[in-house]
Amino acid sequence: MQKSSSPRKSKKILPVGHYRGLGGWTVFFFIFLYLPIVVLIFYSFNANRMVMNWGGFGFEWYLKAFQNEDIQKAVWNSLIVATVSTIFATAIATIGALVLARGGNFRGKTVSLGLITLPLMVPEIVTAVAVLIFFSAIGMNWGLGNVIIAHITFCIPFAFMPIRARLEGMDTSLEQAARDLYASEWETFRYVTVPLLMPGIVAGAMLAFVISMDDFIITLMVGGAGSTTLPVYIYSMIRRGLTPEINAVSTVLLLVSIGIVTAYWVVSKKSQTDTVH
Amino acid sequence: MTTAIDIRGITKIYNPESNQPVKALDDVSLTINDNEFFTLLGPSGCGKTTLLRLIAGFEQVSGGEIMLFGEEIENLEPNRRPVNTVFQHYALFPHMTVADNVAFGLERLKKPKNEIVATVERVLTLVKMKHLGDRRPNQLSGGQQQRVALARALAPSPKVLLLDEPLSALDLKLRQAMREELKQLQKETGITFVFVTHDQEEALAMSDRIAVMSDGEVQQIGGPTDIYEHPVNRFVADFIGDTNFLDGEIVAVNDDLVTCRLGSNSMFEAENSGAHKIGDQVTLFLRPEKISLSAVGATNGQDTRPGKVANMTYLGNQAAYTVDMGDGIELTAQARPQENGKLPFAIGDSLAVGFSARALRVLAQ
Repeated sequence: MQKSSSPRKSKKILPVGHYRGLGGWTVFFFIFLYLPIVVLIFYSFNANRMVMNWGGFGFEWYLKAFQNEDIQKAVWNSLIVATVSTIFATAIATIGALVLARGGNFRGKTVSLGLITLPLMVPEIVTAVAVLIFFSAIGMNWGLGNVIIAHITFCIPFAFMPIRARLEGMDTSLEQAARDLYASEWETFRYVTVPLLMPGIVAGAMLAFVISMDDFIITLMVGGAGSTTLPVYIYSMIRRGLTPEINAVSTVLLLVSIGIVTAYWVVSKKSQTDTVH
Repeated sequence: MTTAIDIRGITKIYNPESNQPVKALDDVSLTINDNEFFTLLGPSGCGKTTLLRLIAGFEQVSGGEIMLFGEEIENLEPNRRPVNTVFQHYALFPHMTVADNVAFGLERLKKPKNEIVATVERVLTLVKMKHLGDRRPNQLSGGQQQRVALARALAPSPKVLLLDEPLSALDLKLRQAMREELKQLQKETGITFVFVTHDQEEALAMSDRIAVMSDGEVQQIGGPTDIYEHPVNRFVADFIGDTNFLDGEIVAVNDDLVTCRLGSNSMFEAENSGAHKIGDQVTLFLRPEKISLSAVGATNGQDTRPGKVANMTYLGNQAAYTVDMGDGIELTAQARPQENGKLPFAIGDSLAVGFSARALRVLAQ
């Protein structure tokens, strides 16, 4: 009878390199994922008018993009929409998370939780059409205001999740300790709950900001003339014909997103290190 | 003697409106004296922590009253009660320094700034943590966090300090050292301590008085020796220390001794705790350390019974012997190793087992 290998050996986790050809697949996967973006960035420095004909290295499309008043207007709109909807969405998400995590057991708690996170699952086009029909049904036409309201609604679940996760991980005995040490409910919230929740709030806000900045479908549907945001403007530029200007604008937008995601990562990393047991 | 806390008929029911209400405390009454180290002792789920949280104000009573130095407090918010708590896992604020943690209560009480600074320094010195005032809690060891938690709770000079199993997260050596310090701290500050624990050794070592609890009721209140030597029922005798229980029937009653029949026909004399009559089914209890074991023939005229070693557990400083007394009776007893480290008896050895009738007590059923 053949001796079976020792159990210690068979339980050992195999390093991924053990699977032949996996390295090649991994490289292919990353190329598949990032090559288009690398090409986009590369041609943003193209000195030629035609996107796909390389005419030497240059920054002229960046300069052109920065001087384009329509782009400036679109960036400005995007920033206003993202900032205002982030503030409102984060505030609402914080209150919601506090009620769900600290409000004890109440009727409809599970349903509320489901309803808050459901928008993550609903196809965006459905939300977009619904919001559009709703606004026209009640005859609301506040231009950028419509866009902001729509953004607040779909940003709430994104802001909600990190805040709730942080709250769930927070020991309620810290708040009890504050009450025990003569802090009123408000003082407990102000001096203990909020400072400890801050990493979650910041992470939620940044997530909401990125989601709002990048949104296209809902903005396209809801936004009328004059409330064009950057993603919608880029789309309209493409329809008029490709120029490296689009590449330049997209690259800048990409950098802003990467910057915010990195900041989000750093903040959540920090919140892990000073964990509240 | 002034009464610090008077608990009057406290009942606590969790989820009273659900179909599974849990009765955590059932009509509990007890008084805690001023300047006393009072311990609530019992197994987990006995209601000891619930009682502490009711005094602190983290839970609402379902019935009854809590008086603190003559003032009714059971409906006050936690921040209106002049008591402070040391939490089981310390619950230090991780975003504040040690000094800020300790100052928190004083700041909420709107004490003048120079007074806060002086008090923080005084209590941190008291718990030997003055040099670490600038640290964050996560930079401290478990024992140090424990000291900060104590300092924070003592800083506002509470009328009563509540301690919820504060030593349970520490390792054995540190736990024993902190016992001494806690006892010392209680004497120095003169503050009433209400200490919750499931560790009977801890309770015996530190307390002025102990309330033994089980199933939401107080079983017995008394000093450590009272509780250990004169438990009122089988639960208390069993929970505190090791005990031999012997079930039998009373066959004769004298003034201060009763005679019980155990097994088929073994007679044991025991101290008469009163109110027993012939024919009562009773449980006798006998502490292992009250039993002397000696080799046959080496008894110095002491009254002994024959026995045989059935089992032995080596514990280092002593060995626990299970002795077969015949007639289906087994006793657990202890013996110290000899000077050369050898154990005095081995399994199968015949022994002379001696104990006084005064050491055997009749427990209420």
